[in-house]
Amino acid sequence: MTDTAVVHQTHDVPQPKQHGKPGGILRHTSIVTGTALGLVAAIVTYAIGSHFFVPWGTTNADASQVGLNALVAATYFAWVIFFMIGIGAFAGPIRWALGHDLTHDDAEYMAGKDQGKWRYWKYTTDHKVVGTQYLIMAMFLLGLGGLLAMLIRTELGITWAEVFDPNFYNSLIGTHGIVMIIALIIVVTGPFGNFILPIMIGARDMAFPRLNALSFWLLFAAIPPLASNLFLGGIRDGWTVYQPLASQAPIGMIGYQVTIIVFAFSTGVASVNLITTSVTMRARGMTWNRVPIFVIGVIASSVMGLVWFPMFQYSQMLALSDKVIATSFYNPIMGGSVWLYENLFWLLGHPEVYVVVIPGTAALMELMVVFLRKPLFSYKVAIAGFAGVVGISSIVWVHHMYMTGWAPSAGYPFMLSTELISIPFGFLVLVMLGTLWRGKPWTRLPMMCVYAVIWDKVVGGITGVYLSDVPVDQYMHGSMFVVAHFHYMLMGAGLFAAIGATAYWFPKMTGRMLDERLGSIGFWVAFFGFQLTFGSMFVAGLQGMPRRVLQFDNAFNISNWLSTVGAYTIGIGMLIFLYAVITSWRSGKPSGSNPWGGKTLEWQTETPVPLENFPVLPVVTSDPYGYGVPDPYDAVLEADKQPAGVA
Amino acid sequence: MSIDNPPTIEVDQPEEPTNRPAADHRLKEWLSRGYVRRIIALSIVIGLLIIPLAWVVIHFMNLSGAPASAIMVEIERTMFVFTVVSAPLMAITLAILFYSLTGWGRVTGEDPPMQESPAIRTNGTAVVLWIAATSILAGFLVIWGLVELATITSYANGSTPANQQPNGQKAIDINVTGQQWVWTFQYPDQGAVTSDTLIVPINVPLYFNVTSKDVVHDFWVVELGIKIDANPGAITNTGVTPDKLGTFNIRCAELCGLHHAYMQTKIQVVTQAEFDAWVREMGGKRTV
Repeated sequence: MTDTAVVHQTHDVPQPKQHGKPGGILRHTSIVTGTALGLVAAIVTYAIGSHFFVPWGTTNADASQVGLNALVAATYFAWVIFFMIGIGAFAGPIRWALGHDLTHDDAEYMAGKDQGKWRYWKYTTDHKVVGTQYLIMAMFLLGLGGLLAMLIRTELGITWAEVFDPNFYNSLIGTHGIVMIIALIIVVTGPFGNFILPIMIGARDMAFPRLNALSFWLLFAAIPPLASNLFLGGIRDGWTVYQPLASQAPIGMIGYQVTIIVFAFSTGVASVNLITTSVTMRARGMTWNRVPIFVIGVIASSVMGLVWFPMFQYSQMLALSDKVIATSFYNPIMGGSVWLYENLFWLLGHPEVYVVVIPGTAALMELMVVFLRKPLFSYKVAIAGFAGVVGISSIVWVHHMYMTGWAPSAGYPFMLSTELISIPFGFLVLVMLGTLWRGKPWTRLPMMCVYAVIWDKVVGGITGVYLSDVPVDQYMHGSMFVVAHFHYMLMGAGLFAAIGATAYWFPKMTGRMLDERLGSIGFWVAFFGFQLTFGSMFVAGLQGMPRRVLQFDNAFNISNWLSTVGAYTIGIGMLIFLYAVITSWRSGKPSGSNPWGGKTLEWQTETPVPLENFPVLPVVTSDPYGYGVPDPYDAVLEADKQPAGVA
Repeated sequence: MSIDNPPTIEVDQPEEPTNRPAADHRLKEWLSRGYVRRIIALSIVIGLLIIPLAWVVIHFMNLSGAPASAIMVEIERTMFVFTVVSAPLMAITLAILFYSLTGWGRVTGEDPPMQESPAIRTNGTAVVLWIAATSILAGFLVIWGLVELATITSYANGSTPANQQPNGQKAIDINVTGQQWVWTFQYPDQGAVTSDTLIVPINVPLYFNVTSKDVVHDFWVVELGIKIDANPGAITNTGVTPDKLGTFNIRCAELCGLHHAYMQTKIQVVTQAEFDAWVREMGGKRTV
């Protein structure tokens, strides 16, 4: 560290007057008060609403159903709003409205200073706390989604009988889908975008610390409405909840719609925060050519989330409106359109895949240079790849609608755009291959995830090329082939990259090393189970097995048995990995501040990371990829371009 | 020649490009490196393993029955060609991936490796070649796809792709209605014959008007390679000319509720005489 940084000058600046103890009412609010107030508000809303507003006695079944739908929606929203009030989310704005500024001590209290472990259960603004909360939440959601996946595969593996009631089976696949989608959207940008990114760019916190806490607790509040659907008839319509099937659904569907509406606010807030932080809070000297590639990946992902998530939100707002005030946006009999829903849905639905894959890919690029002791190959090509994917991802959504009959001629332009996106996506593969080129890998778990993910991307990418083609899609659409393909992208390239990122940044987040042996065993068991599961699922799809069925022709038996065996293998692997995470977190080997010898800023500060990350803000003098020795083959050396590392 | 024994290249001043060895000399030197040769060999081996996948893919698609229409033939041809043309890039990618596991050495152990790898920041030639190769591949796939789409569209319309002219035969109109969870087929030209199994004559163009009474279904005739959503409040169209006698599968390919899995029926492709007999038996009138 140099002595060029500006020291805090709090003593020179007139501070707002401290009213009472630091934190004020926030000293008393926590997840307990939030949950209590939320539950009370939900119960009161339900009681008042059912007494006064639901026309129970009416002979008009539609009116009664609409009234009940409105009641359930109001109950869910009451839970969300009053949970947020109860946890203290609005304490800051209310104090401003009352004319009291927050003091420095208030801000430090809100950041969780000297509150021990309890700060993880409060509306804490410290980005490291939020990041850790996101990691736990992502693991919880992945566990829930994984459990549902095991149940799905159990049904499909037992080919001689119906294990579950078809309604329950349908809600299994719907809930599995949406839970996993939410989990994968947060699994990299949530934990590592929040915990690591600010340190990586040399900032003391996110640009908007209170919004950071808001984004996490909104997500938290959105989960109970989603989970409760399993007791209210379930989400029986797949994760896409196509209309008008969804309008026939039981009231569990309201939970889906409320969850998506709230979750969209959460991602919007998080995206704004991540973009603003990355753009404005970088350390002195961190020019755009010196920004770690992970930051670029998070920005790319956040931009897509910010622009396209509102489409998903609108689609569900209109669906909810159809339910609770009997509008006809999607009701064909009344002039509504099912194709309107499908368009709004896929406007997010496709960019969402890249929202998942890009930050994971960027995290792997970030870590592979450390394990290869080589600079990132063609940083600028990587950025061009991210930019290209972000740009083109906005004009490919109709490839999900080739077979709807909505616009037969649209197949031509959208086939073009969909196949073009493979070019910038190919840039990312080039960067990873170029970085591997002539490197000696340090074969630790994070590095091995790079190999696994590139393999999955090759398989997922090539099968994606088939599906982008309209004639082929005419056979494959709605078949198990599609299911296998997107699991290769979302799980193979998304989740396994998140595992790599977790293994890499685990020491910084917990101060302990992830158990290499157990973690690797779990990872590889899951990886090979994954290949078996979805490799055989490709075969089922090629044979013509439709997706989302619970019974099928005997011709598909063998591939389904293999898939189920593979799925249980994944389950075992993931449990081993989870066990490794939990035991290492509790009692793993202490890691020190820089166990991997990384050059990005997060490894230059101590572990555990202090409240404001750096004693003195760092000044950056080069990009973080100054690894490697001169190429022995290369007699042409440009000595002045050898970076000197981070000061 | 291994990395431990790098060759010496006679280059004095980077500022004087005239002193750099000629391009062909550099290429020759590059190709003489051991790892380059091994990766090329590995790529060829992997490529030779991938190309047979094209037949394997077709084999799986044909497990439940060989193509029964020109459209399905085109779809399988596209799968075959795509597998073959993407094989080289896949092979190179996987070859580098597998080779790098140990090929350039590897480091194990607890501590960060002391020995660093070559500081290759970028390589203009590699970038240009990669972008060119992926663009050519994507361009080929797009053009192939556009042509194939036009081809199957004209097959669906009962015309020949070459001249876009109807091939002289009048298509049989069939109204397909999906409802939870059955398919109904109505033959308006045959005196409104209605059936829950699709019975059609061979080598006669069929034209489907597809709709739904309730939710979105998807009309998928597997071995004939056609698929179109059945939407409430709208009629969508597709068509095909079956060219093989036999019984094939019709499945619903869009989740439509409780008994989606059981929403399937059969299509029987029969001779014209058998079809006429069936229509008479159903009380309809003879085809024109």
